[in-house]
Amino acid sequence: MQMISRRDFLKLGAASTAVLAIESQFGAIAHAAEQLVEGGRSVNRTSGLPRSFLPSTCTQCPAGCGIIGYVEESRLVKIGGNTKHISNQGALCARGQAGINALYDPNRILKPLKRAGSRGSGEWTEISWEEALTEVSGRIGGIANRNEFVMLTDDLGRDDLARRFTWALGSGNALEGTGVYNANKLVATQLTWGRAGDMPDVSSSKYILSFGANPMENHTEFVGFVRRLVDGMQDNQAKVVVFDVRLTNTSAKSNELYYTAPGTYGLLALSMAQVIMQEGLYDATFIDRWTNVSAADLTRHLAQYTPERAEAETGVSASVIRRIAAEFATTKPATTLTDSMASSYSNGVQAERAVMLLNIITGNVDTRGGYCLPREYTLAEPAPAPAYPGATVLSNPPANPLASQQVISRTMEAIQKREQNVGVLMSHRYNIAYSNPDLGTVQDVLKDETLVPFHVAVTPYETETAIYADIILPEATYLEDWDIEVRPSPEQVPFVSLRQPVVPALKESKTFFDITRELANRIGGSVAQYFAFKRVDDYLKGRIAGIGGLVGAGGIDYLKQHGVWYEPTSRPDYGSYASTGFATPSGRIEVYSSRMAQHGYDPLPSYEAIAGLGNLHENDMVLTIFDTAAQFDSRTGNCMWLNEIEHNNPVWMNPETAHALGIEEGDHIKLTRKDGEAKIRSLESTAYLTEGIHPKVVAMANGVGHTAYGAIAQGEKIPYDDPEIPVELRDPNTKLVWWEHHGFNPGHGVNAKQIVPALVDPVGGGQAWGEVVVTVAKI
Amino acid sequence: MSEGQHGAGEGQRGDEAMARAGVCRLLARVFSNKPSAELVEGLREARMLEVLASLGVDFDQGFISGDAAGEAESLGIEYTRLFVGPGEHIAPHESVFVRGQAESEPRLWGEATAAVAEFYREAGLEVDTAGEIPDHIGIELEAMAELAAAEAERHERGETAEAETLWGLQQRFAWEHLARWLPDFGRAVAEQAQSSFYRGMALLVGGLAELYEDE
Repeated sequence: MQMISRRDFLKLGAASTAVLAIESQFGAIAHAAEQLVEGGRSVNRTSGLPRSFLPSTCTQCPAGCGIIGYVEESRLVKIGGNTKHISNQGALCARGQAGINALYDPNRILKPLKRAGSRGSGEWTEISWEEALTEVSGRIGGIANRNEFVMLTDDLGRDDLARRFTWALGSGNALEGTGVYNANKLVATQLTWGRAGDMPDVSSSKYILSFGANPMENHTEFVGFVRRLVDGMQDNQAKVVVFDVRLTNTSAKSNELYYTAPGTYGLLALSMAQVIMQEGLYDATFIDRWTNVSAADLTRHLAQYTPERAEAETGVSASVIRRIAAEFATTKPATTLTDSMASSYSNGVQAERAVMLLNIITGNVDTRGGYCLPREYTLAEPAPAPAYPGATVLSNPPANPLASQQVISRTMEAIQKREQNVGVLMSHRYNIAYSNPDLGTVQDVLKDETLVPFHVAVTPYETETAIYADIILPEATYLEDWDIEVRPSPEQVPFVSLRQPVVPALKESKTFFDITRELANRIGGSVAQYFAFKRVDDYLKGRIAGIGGLVGAGGIDYLKQHGVWYEPTSRPDYGSYASTGFATPSGRIEVYSSRMAQHGYDPLPSYEAIAGLGNLHENDMVLTIFDTAAQFDSRTGNCMWLNEIEHNNPVWMNPETAHALGIEEGDHIKLTRKDGEAKIRSLESTAYLTEGIHPKVVAMANGVGHTAYGAIAQGEKIPYDDPEIPVELRDPNTKLVWWEHHGFNPGHGVNAKQIVPALVDPVGGGQAWGEVVVTVAKI
Repeated sequence: MSEGQHGAGEGQRGDEAMARAGVCRLLARVFSNKPSAELVEGLREARMLEVLASLGVDFDQGFISGDAAGEAESLGIEYTRLFVGPGEHIAPHESVFVRGQAESEPRLWGEATAAVAEFYREAGLEVDTAGEIPDHIGIELEAMAELAAAEAERHERGETAEAETLWGLQQRFAWEHLARWLPDFGRAVAEQAQSSFYRGMALLVGGLAELYEDE
């Protein structure tokens, strides 16, 4: 290219200024979305208002992505991803961006409310914080037996204040909702390699085998994990093979997809393991050094699980099983994905262990690109730490001695049977009357004042659970709150993330820290000492006290500025078990689980067919409830933007099956559960015919079908100038809700979980969502 | 430190920075949207044509004397074919032209993109990334224009040291980014363009990085 004269070039610059000045009057400006300002300032390009921004941590799903909140004149105007965050690396999903709707939900509760009518009537009267705290602390103080205080939260590992408050009161009934999510997986991994959970190192894998996992729509580390999965698929040309009951966003992008009969993932994995052992494709050194079984014994045990047997039950052909087993064993590094799906059955723990076995016998454990241990920091409990009050029948049901994640599916039933008396129920974060199975029983118990004499809901919203409260304490949303967050790192380098208010708590809402502190101070006695923090910083400092590198870098002050911290020079310490051993009784991977043997369960990875799924009647179908990328269970239910994307959930049916039943696309249909105990047995919806589903399976999306939680969650529009709505919460777009009557079924969908009975894997205590048999009929 | 920068007085150096901002804004405009009738009219004014001719850019007669709105419309079709698609087109992103060290081939949202975003951050440029990728040619050039405009402002206020820092940032970005891909980008556009307008603009954008070399 010819050299261009610098002087002439600059003349062009001077001349073009005039050209652009004229043009801009007509509004044809380059990059309408972009505004660049010198000096680290951000400015709204239409209003010219300066924007401030603060890093924080999302809670719209469990992934805990780093976010940046952009604020104009004290109002949050946008949420973006934090580029410094090691997990999500600046990317943020729809749920994260829609958090702004959760903050400014027009139906958000901003003052303490006291029940005015009967339980569940939705009639409330406003009271002052003084009255509310006096009543709640009085009720708690008046409990006869300390275990009669029951706390209900979503995840005790992440709601430390809920656990601390409960233990400070001397109650062992800090209960969590993990059982409806991934408890069986957590228990299976804990029993097998001594750590709850896993973190497949997908960005460096060459072969990825998925048993029902669908990370592209839902995963515990969602965006951070998917980024690395896509890296593995693109940069590393990893082959992805998926077994599922349904065509998902993940299986749509896989190299091969095989529809698999519900509840048979364990058998499928065991048959592959059988091939790998039989063909001598296993890693003899690893099995010998790091497991507690011998290759010969394992080969003998697996002999029963032939590909032919698996073909008969799973529907995947024996030749495919043989080929994929060989590919998996000979393509290194390889890993498996299950997320929570393979274990959402009553044989879930063993299914998870069977899939783990594939990684173990091929030596893909904790290697670069393999099946890795979860790497995360452990937070400290700020001193003085309340003592563990001991197990209760609710926290550790005797029937499920290994269920370390509790058995939330059965909690309400146990209260109904008076296995545990309740004095005060405090519900926080976990919306049990939406997220649990057997919702009829949940509602009955919450409604019954003899079973639950006093229920205080700490929440920003009138959820399906809060509607049965006696007092609602208006909690700040996550965008106005403080917390320290640690998650298993998809980068394999552990990190610490801070949640801090990007805007101050609106009106009279308070953070859970302030609420528990004020209650503890009122209750007094030995309880107050555990909440004697002057400021929230003192509590947060106590949480990170054990992480020397972070404290050295500036601790909380560093986190306030950057939002996240990790050792800057840290690299993944693959294979660190070599020096420490595995955290199991034997120090090895327990393919033979001594603890399972102790409690009379089959100690080796094995398969038991789920009763009732083997010989399905012609009209019988198996119901699957699936997650989508736009909602996360109950958490996102009131976010307008997300509801616009996903608001109803017609029933997926294979056309072949549907036509045999005389059902056409869009028909109004009824699903009736065949057996099992649950109050509500049927639901009505519409049919969505698609080849993207196993012929014997019907599927419905989770996250919609709310019966409370404000107008938006129930598909209703809200007039902008509704005098009932505080000015702070008004949003002109809430009048534009258009899906009130979209489709045949209610515009905002149906909660499919209401017809699912409380049915758990006895080992793991986690809900078996995927094995409800229903009949489908046109109405 | 270049003689050109230090030899000139504050006013002249401020003007030079303003002119640099002007060049970047013009090219940012040209490569991030379809031309408007106003842009066509502005570019074919006599003074502009003279400057462009000295830079080796000659527009054909259709562009110079045709109906401005009609010209803008047909150039809009070419713009879409060249940069938007459907079908094969030139993605105006640095990472599509520059392969990162850990990349087997260049790709959208690659290593270069991350480096560009990091530069904006270091330079104190807050980019609201809604909708566009940070290494789009339009954003890179707008960023350079912002820095140049800020430099001019500093000169005007007599804050020479700050102005010098801003000039240093522009040079660094030009060397580390613009010079690595704009020549290839310009060649690709010149090869595929059918109009004298895009061929001419390709020539200018291909040579832009030279503007940041020390004299």
